[in-house]
Amino acid sequence: MNGVSLDNVPVIIQPGQAPKTVGLSFGYGRKVGMKEEMQTGVNAYAVYTNFNSVQSVSIEKADGLHEFACIQLQNTLMGRGEIIKETTLEKYTTEDAHEWNPVPVVSLDHQEVPATTVDLWASFDRSIGHHFNMSIDLNACTGCGACVIACHAENNVPVVGKTEVRRSRDMHWLRIDRYYSSEDTFEDDNIKKDEFSGAFESKSGFEEMERSAINPQVAFQPVMCQHCNHAPCETVCPVAATSHSRQGQNHMAYNRCVGTRYCANNCPYKVRRFNWFLYNNNDEFDFHMNNDLGKMVINPDVTVRSRGVIEKCSLCIQMTQKTILDAKRDGRVIEDGEFQTACSNACSNGAIVFGDINNEESKVAELKKEDRMYHLLEAVGTKPNVFYHVKVRNTNEA
Amino acid sequence: MASHYEAPIRKPLVIGDKSYHDVSVDISAPIEGRASMQWWIVFSIALAALLWGIGAIIYTISTGIGTWGLNKTVNWAWDITNFVWWVGIGHAGTLISAVLLLFRQKWRMAINRSAEAMTIFSVIQAGIFPIIHMGRPWLAYWVVPIPNQFGSLWVNFNSPLLWDVFAISTYLSVSLVFWWTGLLPDFAMIRDRAVKPFQKKIYGLVSFGWTGRAKDWQRFEEVSLVLAGLATPLVLSVHTIVSFDFATSVIPGWHTTIFPPYFVAGAIFSGFAMVQTLLIIMRKVSHLEDYITVQHIELMNIVIMVTGSIVGCAYITELFIAWYSGVEYEQYAFLNRATGPYWWAYLLMMSCNVVSPQIMWFKKIRTSIVVSFIISIVVNVGMWFERFVIIVTSLHRDYLPSSWTMFSPTFVDIGIFIGTIGFFFVLFLLYSRTFPVIAQAEVKSILKASGSKYKKLRDAGKPLYQMPVVKAGKNEVKAAAAPPAKAEGNVSDLLAKLGAFDPSKDKADDLKKVKGIGPKMEKTLNEIGIFTFAQVSRMTNTEYDLLDEITGSFPGRAQRDDWAGQAGKLNKNS
Amino acid sequence: MASKVIHAYYNDDDILMQAVKKVKATKHHIEEVYCPFPVHGLDKAMGLAPTRIAITSFMYGCLGLIVSIVMMNYIMIDDWPQDIGGKPSFSYIENMPAFVPIMFELTVFFAAHLMVITFYLRSRLWPFKESENPDPRTTDDHFVMEIEVHGDEKTLMAMLKESGAVEINKVEK
Repeated sequence: MNGVSLDNVPVIIQPGQAPKTVGLSFGYGRKVGMKEEMQTGVNAYAVYTNFNSVQSVSIEKADGLHEFACIQLQNTLMGRGEIIKETTLEKYTTEDAHEWNPVPVVSLDHQEVPATTVDLWASFDRSIGHHFNMSIDLNACTGCGACVIACHAENNVPVVGKTEVRRSRDMHWLRIDRYYSSEDTFEDDNIKKDEFSGAFESKSGFEEMERSAINPQVAFQPVMCQHCNHAPCETVCPVAATSHSRQGQNHMAYNRCVGTRYCANNCPYKVRRFNWFLYNNNDEFDFHMNNDLGKMVINPDVTVRSRGVIEKCSLCIQMTQKTILDAKRDGRVIEDGEFQTACSNACSNGAIVFGDINNEESKVAELKKEDRMYHLLEAVGTKPNVFYHVKVRNTNEA
Repeated sequence: MASHYEAPIRKPLVIGDKSYHDVSVDISAPIEGRASMQWWIVFSIALAALLWGIGAIIYTISTGIGTWGLNKTVNWAWDITNFVWWVGIGHAGTLISAVLLLFRQKWRMAINRSAEAMTIFSVIQAGIFPIIHMGRPWLAYWVVPIPNQFGSLWVNFNSPLLWDVFAISTYLSVSLVFWWTGLLPDFAMIRDRAVKPFQKKIYGLVSFGWTGRAKDWQRFEEVSLVLAGLATPLVLSVHTIVSFDFATSVIPGWHTTIFPPYFVAGAIFSGFAMVQTLLIIMRKVSHLEDYITVQHIELMNIVIMVTGSIVGCAYITELFIAWYSGVEYEQYAFLNRATGPYWWAYLLMMSCNVVSPQIMWFKKIRTSIVVSFIISIVVNVGMWFERFVIIVTSLHRDYLPSSWTMFSPTFVDIGIFIGTIGFFFVLFLLYSRTFPVIAQAEVKSILKASGSKYKKLRDAGKPLYQMPVVKAGKNEVKAAAAPPAKAEGNVSDLLAKLGAFDPSKDKADDLKKVKGIGPKMEKTLNEIGIFTFAQVSRMTNTEYDLLDEITGSFPGRAQRDDWAGQAGKLNKNS
Repeated sequence: MASKVIHAYYNDDDILMQAVKKVKATKHHIEEVYCPFPVHGLDKAMGLAPTRIAITSFMYGCLGLIVSIVMMNYIMIDDWPQDIGGKPSFSYIENMPAFVPIMFELTVFFAAHLMVITFYLRSRLWPFKESENPDPRTTDDHFVMEIEVHGDEKTLMAMLKESGAVEINKVEK
């Protein structure tokens, strides 16, 4: 185009991309002032003229195959609507909450009661002190990824490079799941799955559902450690390296961890990350943790993890503890909004709200009482301290 | 005697014309003889595999678990597959020796020693994996209940992995003790037969000075019985607890209440298959066809068929329950298992474990040694894939589709697995050359009931024993005296008749093969100058008397046992 | 103490049993019988008291159960009760379902190992222990009856010969 040509640009076909269009992102292909390992991608500014981000180009197929380093390999939701709950504005305004945000129920004394109210065990007293919760509004989330970057920076999460990501070994404590619908909408996916009859139809049906539609619906969901009160990861650790705090966080004692990875297997949300190699001071991973300059951006409040241990979201315990200690030193009560995490600070849309639910007036306590509130995989019975808000789509306007 | 009675309809368990002494000779033969070329070849291959495995383990520990093919979704794969597979194999030994002891199944006696050895060796292999699969194996001792350096952080007794630590270590140590206690009388037999001082010392050491007093035997039998009673629930508990690793989790495909019985049946299944593989080789190599008979192989095939069917029922029950539960994650997990990207593993598992043992319904097939051998290997391949299917296909697609991924092993995964197979065979091959591979004391105690020699006698209505004609009396006080000096003349007379031994031309025979000649007598004979079967075969009554006079011990023994006749036969054979 | 004993050798368990009964009937004291394999009923014929080793095993098992309960109660409930996956660490009984496997394993562990150790000590079996059987053939196919000599030695000898002994030795002990 205009005599400018970019050679060997790898191409991946995204569902929903309009025919005869290609997209190329700015911000890649930088060479100056970057370590060799980080010089990735193609500089899109070469084809950027007249300050117009839409340009006409011609493309030609080149030889060769490029293996993209993708975080997520499965793009559809497989009809699992309860993971990202959605409703339409029409339903939301006219119908009762249990119609569009149903709670899983179990039979107790021949009566259907919400599954979360039935418990085998006596509960721990969580009414004293702080009890942290996090609210994520799927309506407000645009999938921008600022929270992921903030989390990496705050918590010294290692950058592991393309090779490791190709082996599904990303280290994100917080990730944004992105799903395409396989039918026209996610609701159609759910209906299609519910109507399967027999094993053979299910088999072929699920195979179809692994492919996304040409023009799919898209949904985003930030997922981090859900800090379950009944955490499956905690019970299985043989050395008690992970246990629950009185403030609701699921703790991870790195220096106690022996690295059996049982917790990561038993996590229904798959949010636990293992240090497969030594990611700092290692020439094999020559990113920011392998040189003096890079190390200067490491957060001194957070441990740099060694090889062979599990790590995961801590709900930024270093930030909440600092807030508590500051207030204690000043001799004052903590205001709502003082408790923050890196991700809640970074979220420009206010999709992530963090706070203390033992403080009745806090915003997060209010959000928890809302009709749109649901827990991820509530039926598993993990009683998470992170909750989501149902996504409401205005389908009438479209 | 009533205690030796056995229904005539039962087939003999020991075939061939065996007396008590024959049993000793046959069982110590592989230990006292030299290793064959085949043994050295197989041993070298196993040793090479072991060294490769050690290399792979060192690489893993020095570099990180990242050298394996695992990822954020599939955090266990070959490591725990191998662990469960080896533990499963390790179930047959204790089952054979304990459960079959409680059920008074006499056929166990020919195979229990080797089955227990196999148990111990395979549990050792299994024990490697939970340690090396840790991210920081040098801290593995943290799983034992000791506090941390500040004093209050202990282990977590809620964790099934910790239950495993207790179950596996109890199982390994109790099996070891059970095995070793049973070995004491047999080690003592080898000790008392040993000629070389080094061997005598070693076997004296490992036999713990076993003497065989009546009281010792009384306690021995009681201890065996109680240990069997303890080991039976123990063996069932071990795989139950291993299955808890999965059953108590929340992952669809793992969270299954049927796992404990299903795993135990699978363990017996794979364990018997491994015993079958090893014994079919061993009976051939160590010439134990008279003790490990086709009947033994057939009985084990029946156990394999029955447990294989139980496992098959469990697979189908799992599918049914997944459908019946109405839980979509559960349903998808099993659909994915059978038809997803790992369908081939599921198909292998189903065909090897459920279909292949069904051919054992035909007597012709289950008494065929070749087919039994092939099926036993097929079953173990299938059982490895069963664990792979359970672990990997459940994990790789669980609740949130965003985390779904695939697993592929690296050369390190494969190297470690092959290394443990090598290690296992190294141990087993060493065992087969140095240990009494059949519980000879036990076999002797059933010989009169189940040996074909005595069965024939009983069928003919003859007594099982004959009162010896005793010539004793003249040598009473000479107990352990050396051959008296006055016998010098006799020696030359004797040798003149039997022919002298010329070390440059002739080769010395193992005279112990003659029934009635023990290591002591062999030594005495050698001192006199008798080394070969040919010499012994020329002996007549006059020579026997001469010999009695020279040695001053075992009067009348040589006639009774017909040394000359035996030696003649042996001479022809050799 | 120097005393004379007679060693009578037999090469068949049935003959031995008859001989033992005969010797017992003539009120001679059988010191010991050395056998290559367990002969059922021999202990009764010799008049040996039944062994109590199974009872010790039961007691060791009880000890193991108590040890496991005390240990887990101290570690999980007393010393530092943590909130692990929400499991109720308030009292032993509430958290007990998770402790059953280890209670069982330790019971078996104690019962088996302590019993075997008791057996080894009582029967004087340990590494570097010298064996005490009078003849190497007693681990192969011969049975030796050891009888203390007092009184009429001749008739005893004659009786033993008649009973089917293949060899009779007199030994100073």
